[in-house]
Amino acid sequence: MKTYKSLIILLFAGFALQGVAQDNLSPERKQAIDSLALEKVRDLSKYISLIGDKDTPFSEANRVIDRAVELFMEGSEVGVSSLYKEEINYYQVREYLERLMRLNYSKVDIEWYKIEYVSDLERQPDGTYVGVITIFQKFSGYDQEGGLVYQDVTKKDITVYVKRKETQIAGKLIGFWDVLLGDIRVKETTKE
Amino acid sequence: MKYSITILILLCCAFIMPAFGQGSLSSITGDETDLYAQTKQVNQFFRRFNNEEDRYGNRYYPGDSLYRDNAFRKVYLEMLFDKESPFIQKSQKEEFINHVADVDNPVFLDFHGDNWFAEVPATFMYYKKKETLLLFLQLEQENLGYKWVITNVYFDKFLKKFNKGDKELVKSKFLHPMSHELDFMNMYKVFQDPTYSEYYASKTFKPDYRTLLFYEVKMGNMEYQNLGPLKFHFFQVDGWYFEVNFFNRPGNNSGWLISKLYKISDKEKEDLIRFYLP
Repeated sequence: MKTYKSLIILLFAGFALQGVAQDNLSPERKQAIDSLALEKVRDLSKYISLIGDKDTPFSEANRVIDRAVELFMEGSEVGVSSLYKEEINYYQVREYLERLMRLNYSKVDIEWYKIEYVSDLERQPDGTYVGVITIFQKFSGYDQEGGLVYQDVTKKDITVYVKRKETQIAGKLIGFWDVLLGDIRVKETTKE
Repeated sequence: MKYSITILILLCCAFIMPAFGQGSLSSITGDETDLYAQTKQVNQFFRRFNNEEDRYGNRYYPGDSLYRDNAFRKVYLEMLFDKESPFIQKSQKEEFINHVADVDNPVFLDFHGDNWFAEVPATFMYYKKKETLLLFLQLEQENLGYKWVITNVYFDKFLKKFNKGDKELVKSKFLHPMSHELDFMNMYKVFQDPTYSEYYASKTFKPDYRTLLFYEVKMGNMEYQNLGPLKFHFFQVDGWYFEVNFFNRPGNNSGWLISKLYKISDKEKEDLIRFYLP
């Protein structure tokens, strides 16, 4: 059943993006790829909210971390800086998510602003396309009495890699665009 | 005139009003005016400068009615300046905007074009001491794609080693033309006082600070630590130079903005570019 579902998704991606092997992506193709990339970013946002939520059981949070890590290219890092300290601290994606899970608050609220800014896709020398999606997150941490003890808004610039791949389905080569997330730059914008 | 002012006011309002139409994560229903107004990426700086996107950040493409539209563009250009900068005169800003948004001869920024550079301070441990140097980068084409490459390094510790010495002394630093007859037995002079060694090199010699940086890193004398705030230098508009910095602050004048603006001659432009791209 799972294989059948994967085939459908691949075929859908293949048809939705057919012809994208050309050097210059048409506006329509770019929009299709943007949508795929935004889906991944939205998945990540949902996972982050779940991982940070103190009501998520430990085992479930760990499972979600695994799912979240699968969205990324291997070796992707999260570079974090604060309003008062511009120096960037680097974390592996898994490490960053595990730190989020272990945060010492009784309750955590992670909310996302509506705005999503999608850059152009630029081609790298190896043919992979790269873009950046910017989103904003509001984090609130509460103590046992329910008092707000920490709040900040962070700007997250998320790298998106788009690569042309092929897969064989029923003996036929089907091309599709694979979207993977890369490094994330987290910049604090306001703090309370 | 009154009509065009009204249009401009309406356009201004349109740009800074929160936008609700975009599909999104939609958890927060608060005021996002500042976030929409912010020039969030350098990519957005380019698009706004050229009027290649709407107020929601959706791209315009060639053929779209508002693609590079001049009226909208003037509003965007006004928004792209740091309003708190002491380095920008109002009259110069207006002159610049009128120049780039000239109806007959508009000037647009080109992401893949030459003459714009990134500058970022980088901290290294240099012989066990924390030191900061500046790295300059430029986009370079390779195959069908692009990459950022380091074009120059500014590090005072390197620079001091190649400072011009006493003029009279410098004049005396050469190997005389018959040195070869003596098997260059005077070669010791070149290395006796390393302060002047480079004056024995041919006149085309120019120290390459990137080589020094890479060498020191390879030798283990320099270890990369961290980066400071990034900025950009633009020379794509003839007769003008401007600097773009990221302003992380509340309000509708934030993000990547022009923080310095100068009128420059061709000669000044050439000299400045030589600093970033020796």
